[in-house]
Amino acid sequence: MFFNQVGIIMSKRIVEAYIGEYAGGKSENALNRALELAGLGRKVTLVDFDIVEPVYTLRPIQNELTARGVTVIAWKTRDTLGLGEAGTTLKPGARWALKHQGDIILDIGYGVGGARTLRLLEGADTDPDLQVIAVINISRPMTATVEDIVEQVREMGRVNALLNNTHLSDETTAAVVQEGARVVAEAAKLLNLPVVASAAIAEVAKEIGLTDCMGNPVRSINRFMQKAFW
Amino acid sequence: MTEKIIEQEKRAFLTGNEVVAWAALAAKADIMYGYPITPQNEIMHYWTRLAPRYDKRFLQTEDELSAGFTTVGGVLAGRKAFTATAGPGNTLMQEPVSMAEMLRLPIVVVIQQRGGPSTATVIYSQQEVTMTTLGGNGEGMRVVYSTSSHQELFDYTIKAFNTAWKYRFPTFVLGDGYQAKMREPLTLYDPESRGIELIKPEPYVGKPGTPGVDRAPSQFRNTYSMEEELLEIVNQYMQDYGEMAPQVAEYQVANVEDADLVIIGHGVVFRAVRAAVDNLRARGLKVGYFRPVTLRPLAVPQIKEVFSNSKKVLVVESAYGQLARLLKEAAYGTTAEFLTMFRPGVGITAEEVEAEVEKILG
Repeated sequence: MFFNQVGIIMSKRIVEAYIGEYAGGKSENALNRALELAGLGRKVTLVDFDIVEPVYTLRPIQNELTARGVTVIAWKTRDTLGLGEAGTTLKPGARWALKHQGDIILDIGYGVGGARTLRLLEGADTDPDLQVIAVINISRPMTATVEDIVEQVREMGRVNALLNNTHLSDETTAAVVQEGARVVAEAAKLLNLPVVASAAIAEVAKEIGLTDCMGNPVRSINRFMQKAFW
Repeated sequence: MTEKIIEQEKRAFLTGNEVVAWAALAAKADIMYGYPITPQNEIMHYWTRLAPRYDKRFLQTEDELSAGFTTVGGVLAGRKAFTATAGPGNTLMQEPVSMAEMLRLPIVVVIQQRGGPSTATVIYSQQEVTMTTLGGNGEGMRVVYSTSSHQELFDYTIKAFNTAWKYRFPTFVLGDGYQAKMREPLTLYDPESRGIELIKPEPYVGKPGTPGVDRAPSQFRNTYSMEEELLEIVNQYMQDYGEMAPQVAEYQVANVEDADLVIIGHGVVFRAVRAAVDNLRARGLKVGYFRPVTLRPLAVPQIKEVFSNSKKVLVVESAYGQLARLLKEAAYGTTAEFLTMFRPGVGITAEEVEAEVEKILG
């Protein structure tokens, strides 16, 4: 552990893989986390590990992320011309992402199938720092209840922690996020997993404060994925 | 195993495809038949995840021809059956839909439009309007609801089953790739607890009793030997269709009374049209909008009224005149200047509509 120039604790290398339900907020949380770490002056690599829809996810915002100091490993449109929609392919650099120095944030494809693609990541089994984080939004009907969350997370294989990403888009209130915090915490208890944080859009995060009603840290999110596609 | 699907009304955050799967469940659909094609795949994915929980069925077929015909079979057996497709899949689907028109079968088909012609893009367009309203070798005996939000995808998918089973014409819910993949909040509800009666399906074949003795025989034909036989049946069906039209035709209209220009758009494009009208009105321009919700049958009297009372009409669509063609027929004999903004296969924003209107109104 050491301190940077502004006195923020710089822990050891952070390696996080974001998995979870379709449209649960994996990409949004992964890229916000990458930007947060880059903002602290850390060296960060963001990896698009989505082999389900590789052409679409991060494409329109790649340049913006790069401009803000994040190294991005993802296909560019010109690399995938002719691949069509059915092109399920992993960028070779993504496979070896854990070999990069600094922090590594991985945006994984959705569902159980997405979680399984972690097997394609070289060193996933042995990397001492890798944390697999399941992103949960209880406004999504498939993860609305404690039982649903527990069932779905158990199906996903390796999961090290949960992240409460409960929201209703523009209708999100602090109460919506806090209800998510309670339900996710209960599921986490049954799964014997920690909750890393509650995520909320900036103004709601500000209203909630530094920690949610369960005592977990609140991560302030800026929405980028609206500009992205699918 | 079967439990009530939506216990209490609540706001939820879903993609459009997921909304369709939940709506079909809420409408008490029994079975989905399907073949994968982007951008409708998650309708199947979610239906197959939900089906075992609620004792529902799913069959993946070898192509869309088969998906359409198995949906026809499901309905003949008295099941609330539906399928979903897009683009080239919709093209293949027209053959079984034609059969459903001829047999008066209440199949429900959800379309998430993609770019065309042919494979084109998997992403978005409004280029399946002509095919969905008038496809097949027939007279367009189908109902087509064009949705513009996730709430409407939910509401109209439920309604589509009722319309189909009430009038016995194939019924489409026409969405698009943007609506399919987009995420927004909506209220999920149980239609019956809102007082919406769900029409119960009944079998066409295999009914109890003895044909010709205690019930009429079940005879359903899509083949006729003589021209006159066909003429009689098609005339009868078109009369039924004409009587149904005013009962099912839906539209939305606003600010047309004093309008110098009325903008017309459907589906997701209507969102841009409505926002543009709000913004232009705020800038003092006299504009209104008309939105056909049903593209088949159209609300013809209301369309004629708009075209009779306005000097100019601007039709905005993500296709090269497919909506415009339908409107021209409906508005025949009226005098408004007919202006168009065609953007086949790409999205249209409120700002683009505003710029076009400002160019027209100078």
